[in-house]
Amino acid sequence: MASKSNTVEEEEEEELTLPTDEYEALISTTDVELLKRAWRNEKSAPEILRFESDLINRVTEQIQLMEETVEENSTDDADPLSLSLYQMDLDRTLFLLRSYLRVRIQKIEKYMFHIRKTEELWTRLSKEEKKFTRGKGYLLQFSVAPPKMCFQCKHKIMLVVVLSLFFLCCRCTDDLKKHVEENVLSRLPENYQSVLKQSVISEEDDMVPEPQLDTFVLCRSKEYLTGIQLEDGPVDDRSKLFEMEPGVLYFICYKSIKALVESGKIDLL
Amino acid sequence: MYGRKGCQLLKELSSSEKGHLPQFNSDLFEQVFAECSQHHLELQSLIRKMQEEGLDVQTAKNADHHGALIHHLALVRNKRCLMAYVYNRADNVRSLLWKIGHVLPKEIEEKLSHSEEVYFKKHSARLKSYMSSLQVDLTVDMVPPKDPYIKIRVLDDIGEGIVLSDDKTANFARHSIHFLKRTDAEQFISRGLMEELTG
Repeated sequence: MASKSNTVEEEEEEELTLPTDEYEALISTTDVELLKRAWRNEKSAPEILRFESDLINRVTEQIQLMEETVEENSTDDADPLSLSLYQMDLDRTLFLLRSYLRVRIQKIEKYMFHIRKTEELWTRLSKEEKKFTRGKGYLLQFSVAPPKMCFQCKHKIMLVVVLSLFFLCCRCTDDLKKHVEENVLSRLPENYQSVLKQSVISEEDDMVPEPQLDTFVLCRSKEYLTGIQLEDGPVDDRSKLFEMEPGVLYFICYKSIKALVESGKIDLL
Repeated sequence: MYGRKGCQLLKELSSSEKGHLPQFNSDLFEQVFAECSQHHLELQSLIRKMQEEGLDVQTAKNADHHGALIHHLALVRNKRCLMAYVYNRADNVRSLLWKIGHVLPKEIEEKLSHSEEVYFKKHSARLKSYMSSLQVDLTVDMVPPKDPYIKIRVLDDIGEGIVLSDDKTANFARHSIHFLKRTDAEQFISRGLMEELTG
């Protein structure tokens, strides 16, 4: 699948001339392929990952471009076969985009209290802010950003995506909070009314559903990785370091490879 | 036994089929609340008794302290059960939005409590405003597309004059078979008005 409609044919021709691995290398860097990877990672990771705002931004622009192409061609009598190929390409890309956004919303729905209260997030954002203004910016691990920094954003779409996810998360949390308060909390004795704590004597927030980070995931590394600390299994084994060969499938505890997934060294399947 | 009713409430929810929402059991729900108030009364009276005896509630480890502790723990457990009940039902209610769409059929709506209906509508409005700001409809395209067009059969009289995305109108009489764009057909399929013909 090609990322831009006007390059479909060019790439198809290249396929004939280029050796297979070179062609694959070329294909693997297209935005659609990147989106596919982001989507797969997001689908398999138990927690919400960093929002790929740059990528989504580019993909949205390309989709618009493709839609225009299809529309232009459908008015004059273009070849119906190639038109349907464009349409299919477009549909598949749209599916990826929709599914990616959907998976993220569903994670937000599931863990909204946890996402809202995670302090690390808000503090991390201020650090990322500098990166963002330099134009490098993919930030917003949870796509909840204080609105002030969004105004520095150049891209309108990104602003919309970021802001609306931010508001969605805030409002949904408020809605659900209100819902449980009305139904349960307001009718319990005074010391037991917190959403986050079981009772006033709890020291930590112990009522918040959190993503389970110790579930197992299927993953594959792109390069040779060594020194992975296993976070599960018997205590004696944990000191042993684990290594990963490139291209080999592993079934491993998500917690152990969390950092490597975030840095993009490991792909989830 | 303390905490049994809360447990029953949750068992009822978890033993129902996956994705299937049972009727809101307000009867049992109220009984758990009654149990909570009872625990709270007993807890307070035990603490008052300890204070009258001049004991420090935090440090004195006599029978009354442990009694109070049991009431406290039972109350907390009941709170967890009630919260889990409401929270997981809310979870189910939200997933209905994805599976069925923004309009619920009558037989499902009856199973929701009044406040759940309100919550459903609110959440649906939130998602709608999110999607319209993105200009992407996320409720279509639930399965990976194989072909942009699919063959469908109309199961119920949908009526005439429905405008499809290519600005043409179609007459969806009952039992008629059409060849439609998948994105056009999907919303009708999820509402049970059309079925996809395969093979």
